[in-house]
Amino acid sequence: MVQHKTKVIIAKPGLDGHDRGAKVVARALVEAGMEVVYLGLQQTPESIVRAALEEDADVIGLSILSGAHMTHFRRVRELMAKHRLEDRLLTGGGIIPTKDQDKLREFGVGRLFGPGDDIQDIVDYIRDWHSKHTR
Amino acid sequence: MDKANRKRWEEQFRQAELRQADFSSISGRELQPLYAAGDLGGFDPEAQLGYPGTYPFTRGVHPSMYRGKLWTMRQFSGMGTADQTNARYKFLLARGQTGLSVAFDNPTLYGRDSDHELSAGEVGRTGVAVDSLTDMERLFRDIPLEDISTSMTINAPAAWVFAMFLANAEKRGIPLAQLRGTLQNDILKEYIAQKEWIFPPEPHLRLITDLMAFSAEHVPSWNTISISGYHIREAGSTAGQELAFTLADGFAYVEHALRAGLDIDDFAPRLSFFFNSHMDFFEEVAKLRAARRIWARAMKDKYKAKSPRSWLCRFHVQTAGCSLTAQQPEVNIVRTALEALAGVLGGCQSLHTNSMDEALALPSEKAVEIALRTQQVIAYESGAANVIDPLGGAYYLEKLTDDLEREAEQYFARIDALGGVVPAIEKGFFQQEITRAAYQYQMAVSRKRKIVVGVNDFVNAEQRLEIPVLEIDESVERDQLRLLGDVRKRRDNAAVQARLAGLKTAAAGTENLMPRLLEAARVYATLGEISEALISVFGEYREKPIY
Amino acid sequence: MISAVKKKGIGLKTKLPSSPATAGLWADFFQGSRLACARLITAVENRPELIPEIRHRLIPHLSGAVRVGITGPPGVGKSTVMAGLARRIIQDSHSLGIIAVDPSSPFTGGAFLGDRVRMQALDRDPRVFIRSMASREGHGGLSPAAPHAADILEAFGLDRILIETVGVGQVELDVLSCADLILLVLQPGTGDVIQSLKAGILEAADMILVNKADTAGTDSLLESLRFTFDISSRAAGTPPPPVLAASAVQDRGLDEVHRELEQRIRDILQSGRFHQKKRALLAKEITSSIREHLWGQFSALAKIREELPAVVERLARKRQSPYPYIRKVCSQVRIQYAKGRTSRGQSQ
Repeated sequence: MVQHKTKVIIAKPGLDGHDRGAKVVARALVEAGMEVVYLGLQQTPESIVRAALEEDADVIGLSILSGAHMTHFRRVRELMAKHRLEDRLLTGGGIIPTKDQDKLREFGVGRLFGPGDDIQDIVDYIRDWHSKHTR
Repeated sequence: MDKANRKRWEEQFRQAELRQADFSSISGRELQPLYAAGDLGGFDPEAQLGYPGTYPFTRGVHPSMYRGKLWTMRQFSGMGTADQTNARYKFLLARGQTGLSVAFDNPTLYGRDSDHELSAGEVGRTGVAVDSLTDMERLFRDIPLEDISTSMTINAPAAWVFAMFLANAEKRGIPLAQLRGTLQNDILKEYIAQKEWIFPPEPHLRLITDLMAFSAEHVPSWNTISISGYHIREAGSTAGQELAFTLADGFAYVEHALRAGLDIDDFAPRLSFFFNSHMDFFEEVAKLRAARRIWARAMKDKYKAKSPRSWLCRFHVQTAGCSLTAQQPEVNIVRTALEALAGVLGGCQSLHTNSMDEALALPSEKAVEIALRTQQVIAYESGAANVIDPLGGAYYLEKLTDDLEREAEQYFARIDALGGVVPAIEKGFFQQEITRAAYQYQMAVSRKRKIVVGVNDFVNAEQRLEIPVLEIDESVERDQLRLLGDVRKRRDNAAVQARLAGLKTAAAGTENLMPRLLEAARVYATLGEISEALISVFGEYREKPIY
Repeated sequence: MISAVKKKGIGLKTKLPSSPATAGLWADFFQGSRLACARLITAVENRPELIPEIRHRLIPHLSGAVRVGITGPPGVGKSTVMAGLARRIIQDSHSLGIIAVDPSSPFTGGAFLGDRVRMQALDRDPRVFIRSMASREGHGGLSPAAPHAADILEAFGLDRILIETVGVGQVELDVLSCADLILLVLQPGTGDVIQSLKAGILEAADMILVNKADTAGTDSLLESLRFTFDISSRAAGTPPPPVLAASAVQDRGLDEVHRELEQRIRDILQSGRFHQKKRALLAKEITSSIREHLWGQFSALAKIREELPAVVERLARKRQSPYPYIRKVCSQVRIQYAKGRTSRGQSQ
């Protein structure tokens, strides 16, 4: 019986070019047996959600270090709702102050990760979420 | 007699109980517990070291080094609007900073105007927003550009940002020949690490060579390129990779300029470098010394430069942003101090020390003051600046310097086998090496083989991780957009269109584009408008994702 | 626009039960919901037991879209070629499905799917549907679910399907079975490019494209290819496949590739080869499904799966032939038509 592999979109919205973290996370997820659609840099919220739709992704992970996280996370969440993807996980990381993380959680964004967080925690978080939310 | 002593020590060491720890360098380099004269095998101080200011410059680029002039204390900064940044510059200059370094926001770095679709939410966040000559005028208001050197960290649109800088100097009546400073202008490392490009490699290289030729004639004291390893290291490379890839980029620029018909001794003296200074103290000092030696040998023996000024690897150092932690941020002051000391002992020409919160947000005034004071303590209290290349001759250091040089040579051979830097970029060679190193390091941290104090050991359980924020509020974007609108209304739009059309025609040909860019800048053409004009001729570049 | 393209009616009565997993999707799918299309593709990837039911529902809606397999060694620029061809196909007023397959790691089972990025210029076009797939158990660089995904996209109303794979495995099994036409992409290189290709891949190709034609070695590769085909085509009595050159990243030469591709499409439609292939696939689908079913029943009855490891161990240790065992097992089960009996001693 084939198990449902977790499909994750990893993307960097906007103009931030620091992709070291996104690549390390992408690789860790692949090593953990997941299928990662790596969209990389200069994505718009529209292109990210469109990819999530066509790829039927379980998880969208955004990496934002430029400070523009409120704009981008909120817009992606709106588009997810519009395309009936609100049951998927929106997570991510970067440089996001705690009070902003709290605000985003109210918006339906999942746990967010920051500098110094163990990559294993990120892998475990996504794996656990998916095992509880298999469609 | 020494052989016997050595054998005795080796035996004692073998029997000693060792700590449970990873004794390799942060780059994964295996290290012996001890280095002695016998480990240097055939070391010839004349050939390997020489003297400061003489070939091969291992010990320093100037005969007097810091006894003659201390390194420039140059804190990289920029935020919000040009007016806010101008205020920060005045603050820093008043506190003893000796040179300016401009940080631009993301839209500017990508050559886009503040009102571009992708700029939303990014204006003024990680640096100053510059859309046109107006912003340059405000940025440097009341600052004596003829007396202070200015470094601008800009790459993809460097040529037209520089044009705006020059246009501003002209308006203020400052002769271009009096301007001193540096442009980063290093597009190859963008493809490798920082990812701020616009066009494919060839058009960017042409713009770089055009700028080099223009500058050699009109702005002769300007460093036209700061060939950078900092970002390569920040992307996760090892010290050896940082060294090799940076110098390989340098060779690629030299070869490109030679192919374009420039004389090596005309442009080479104005090439400069920019390295990272990371936590593994001795590896960093060795890396910087190796850089000088490798560059000197290549410029003299391979590229046959005649002027000794062409053989110099002069560089700026910035302490490693990626080594800083969000947890217990005050500890970052210590990290930065050690890294800064390594930069000084490595003989840097200028130095930026990170603020404790800099990896997370733009630095507060307090934090940036401490960073500056760190340099001043090193310069005036530690004695590190009293003797030239004080670590020279240390067995460990000389061995490391040799090893790093050898590692770089191996990389050069591999890059050549791939056809050179640009083909290697297109094949994803650098990106693969860097991503692998970054992943291995992250796994080592995850498995606690490499310790990061406060993060995976010596953790303060009660401490709630706080990311301090220098609030860039949304009025910055609003103000900048309003200003941009004003500029577009008040300028001579017919002139702008005419100059842009002329630029496009020139871009399709082979003439030097700098004069055209200067003309466009003078009439307040915006950054984005110039970028779009050039994109229509050169096309846009999309990266193949390398994993 | 996709929903306007040929539909053959909703609510087809089927004797196969509709599983809960897909029940809610069909109505949406036939109304043009991209989400439903994506979810059906996920179903064929993750729940192969649903494939018969899904095929059953889709077949009446298959419009005869042409499937083009794009294969070749890693690094030759397949995605860039695909992106260039895709743009031209759209400009020709076709709608397009793209399936981009990347290899799954044999150790971790995960996959890095990085082809979609290369096609981002097409991203905003509603006439395009792009799906990345991991090869999973596919041995030839193609996912076993890919042909079914192609069916789904075809039934969704797309009239061209491009399937990109890494041609490093047994081409015959995978790409051939799925595609109506195969475009093999190569690049000039040091050493003998042709020698380093897997056996069969050159013969299977309907078109060959030498990409990165602005680099050294192009002319000699083109010559080697033409020479190779010259011999084999004369021997076989068939015309050689077209060999073209282009530089996808500079967008040069792709107009001709596109024209040639459309010509080959017309050829296979007119010559009947397209339809022959569909028939051959149908026959294969029937025989392999029945074979699967029979094996499943047989092995359960004869309890083969349970005893096989021990049998194998004994035979290997004693270095004995497996045929006595095989004969014995086969003789224990009699096949007959169901008329109240499915096996010896058991009634239905």
